[in-house]
Amino acid sequence: MHSGVAMKSTGFLYDERFFNHVTGPYHPEVPERLTAIYQGIEQKGLLEHLTIIPAQPADRMWIELVHDKAYVDRFEAACRNGQSTFDSPDNQMGPETFPTALLAVGGVLDTVDRIIAGEIDNAFCAVRPPGHHAERSKAMGFCYFNNAAIAAAYLQTKWFLQRVAIIDIDVHHGNGTQHIFEEDDTVFYYSIHQHPSFAYPGTGRAFESGEKRGLGYTCNSTVLPGQGDAFYQEAIARDLVSAMQRFRPEFIIVSVGFDAHVDDDMSDVALSTEGYSWVMEQIVDLGMRFADGKVLSILEGGYDLPRLPELAANHVQTLLND
Amino acid sequence: MFVSKSMTAKVITVRPETSIIEARALMKEHHIRHLPVVEEGAVLVGIITDRDIRSALPAAFYAKSDTHPEAGEAAAIKVGDIMTANPHTVSPEDTIEDALLQIQTMRVGAFPVVDRKGRLQGLISVRDLLRAFINVLGIEEPGTLLGILVEEKLGQMKIIVDAITEENISFGSILVSRHWESNMRAVFPYLLTNNVSRVKKKLAGLGFTILDPMEWTMDRLPRHD
Repeated sequence: MHSGVAMKSTGFLYDERFFNHVTGPYHPEVPERLTAIYQGIEQKGLLEHLTIIPAQPADRMWIELVHDKAYVDRFEAACRNGQSTFDSPDNQMGPETFPTALLAVGGVLDTVDRIIAGEIDNAFCAVRPPGHHAERSKAMGFCYFNNAAIAAAYLQTKWFLQRVAIIDIDVHHGNGTQHIFEEDDTVFYYSIHQHPSFAYPGTGRAFESGEKRGLGYTCNSTVLPGQGDAFYQEAIARDLVSAMQRFRPEFIIVSVGFDAHVDDDMSDVALSTEGYSWVMEQIVDLGMRFADGKVLSILEGGYDLPRLPELAANHVQTLLND
Repeated sequence: MFVSKSMTAKVITVRPETSIIEARALMKEHHIRHLPVVEEGAVLVGIITDRDIRSALPAAFYAKSDTHPEAGEAAAIKVGDIMTANPHTVSPEDTIEDALLQIQTMRVGAFPVVDRKGRLQGLISVRDLLRAFINVLGIEEPGTLLGILVEEKLGQMKIIVDAITEENISFGSILVSRHWESNMRAVFPYLLTNNVSRVKKKLAGLGFTILDPMEWTMDRLPRHD
């Protein structure tokens, strides 16, 4: 930390119980991702500046703001019955997957409360399992409970917020988040991701912009394979910044995936380490301009273990910087 | 993949003696652009499109309402006067591929589907064919498209399919493009998974070239226009 730079109070949701969601052999979404993230933050000397937040199980009533009760029951039963996958072969699971998913949601909601209470300004939630592919009633793409969507619904329901923005910088489109709020004009969903003709899950095309009342409250920027920093700079200035100027969010949730990095082989997008920092700086700046600095970032993807430490450390550094 | 399975079977039809004003109203009401023209016993005698009607009406009238001074004059025009008589048709037993190839060369938006006795069975439009093609591609299900360059020799597809199957990955579809380079084919498996990095490495390890997505093309055929 450079002396003389004013710092914000930043929370860091981290809990070793997130390791207990075991995905089995040859799966990229592994507990080691969190270890890499923790070590990167620790080695950069940032841990001492953070408020470490342990996880706690979520009350199901908040999860059911977003997911069907029958889906939550089905997930719990699948886990209890020892199923090795749920809804899709991508979603490999173990006996602790359901309780771990509850912890991830509960930790995120506790972190939301702390930001609203002013205990911290912003936060990074290093959770597993991730959430943005999870639909109302379907697990997909390594995701079970849609952490970001539940946080947005919680802000609406418990804290009566009128305008929540979700900014999704994972390299894959957050189909679950988009679909959950596509008819809602109080949640703006922005996503920048690899063009769906070249990447999972095949949604998030530039013409998808919301439905009914929510028309104009969804925005997708699609990145062609091989594109990187310059494209992100152009798209974020053109699509995200102008959208936030119109929407004026009271709170920003970030679905942060580190898989757009050039070294991450889950995509063909070539965002650099510096590019990632630039993107996050823009988001924190939007948070300062519109949301009184209230920015909550939640981990989605990012699978390149050698790169995760620096990407996570820079991410947290950006949240800390004033 | 038969036309009968993809066509629209419940079709709004008109008679040759129907006024074109009424035909236009039907098109507007049902948001359609083609009306098959039939006689007794549903025997097809023609087809009329929104474009046919537009060409037959004064521009000023078409833009405005049915109360325009020229309405009476226009109402006197019958469908039979301006329809395309004896249009090109397809049979319910024709395949989707038959219809695709014909619709491309004929440059029309839809074909009436008639049985051997000339009776109207349905209508197959560009829209119906696109829907069928989207189904074939499997792109409405979440998945990831791969592009693999393959030497044109026997048994290559088996190796690819085996390698993917060993990873417990399901297929949404596989396209094979023959018009690539000589002695090479491009194979495009659409895989119903998020998790392709391991299978990509495995295929590369088997000696296949994973195509740069920016080099993909499924269409190296000469264009017809």
